Amino acid sequence: MGREVSESCVESLLIEMVSSYCNRFYADKQELAARRIEAIGYQVGHQLSERYTMERPRFSDHLEAIKFICKDFWSEIFKKQIDNLKTNHRGTFVLQDNHFRWLSRMSIESSPEMVVSSPDGEDKASQAMSMHLYFPCGIIRGALSNLGIPCAVSADISSLPACSFVIRIKA
Amino acid sequence: MIVCVAIVGHQNNPLYIQSFTDGDDALKLHHVVHCSLDVVDERVNNPKKSGPMLNETYLGLLYPTENYKVYGYLTNTKVKFISVTTDLDVKDADVRNFFRKFHAAYVDAVSNPFHVPGKKITSKTFAERISTIVKAFGLSSAG
Repeated sequence: MGREVSESCVESLLIEMVSSYCNRFYADKQELAARRIEAIGYQVGHQLSERYTMERPRFSDHLEAIKFICKDFWSEIFKKQIDNLKTNHRGTFVLQDNHFRWLSRMSIESSPEMVVSSPDGEDKASQAMSMHLYFPCGIIRGALSNLGIPCAVSADISSLPACSFVIRIKA
Repeated sequence: MIVCVAIVGHQNNPLYIQSFTDGDDALKLHHVVHCSLDVVDERVNNPKKSGPMLNETYLGLLYPTENYKVYGYLTNTKVKFISVTTDLDVKDADVRNFFRKFHAAYVDAVSNPFHVPGKKITSKTFAERISTIVKAFGLSSAG
């Protein structure tokens, strides 16, 4: 019953979505653009979690739900599992993906044509890159809140192409 | 024969309720569904009573009334499916099968980008699919 779409279509759509929101809709209000993108991700994560938990028995605790996100959920969306999961056992989880698919073709080296001083150029590039992370953060947040776990999700790209997502469960 | 199906969200808000009888029992059936929600909550919150099958989605027979049997199913996302049937001898496998098809239809309805989570499901396609599944259930258990 499922119809398939090529992966390049999905990636192009996501890139265009971030570009539209940042440059056209909320050109001088980057914060709002980020929040809108995250909200789209939230709804998508909500619906995807409904679909991917269909055949499974219920989760007994938060750790099982996070493990589901790391294994089944991540493989359905990115065709691979999360490579590393860390927790402080007090409601914070760090999910590390060593080769995040949606960022695998992006680089944050500033181009030689840009005449900017090097720290400023790198900041702008990594800020542009971080806009692309709001959507996957929203997906994770939507999926977890549909499973009954309210949380806040942020991403960290200090070591590309690896990407870490930090989940903080609200008590 | 299934006379009523209902989908209830995790805050006990109704998402879809449909009765399949000709008579005016709709209100009575709504009341039956409402009472069964308490039984679902009790089963889920009380691990001793539910026994070994705590984490299964299919909850089984919730409670029998004088004319009806009420079956429950709880998804991972805390959405409850309730089905009220008048059959006296219903095979467990048939009900499980019914709920599996029902869950698939629900997931497709919720994946609709125009559906607002938490509001009632208004899709006509969904309503048609549900009545097909309900009719198929009637036929399989009669045969």
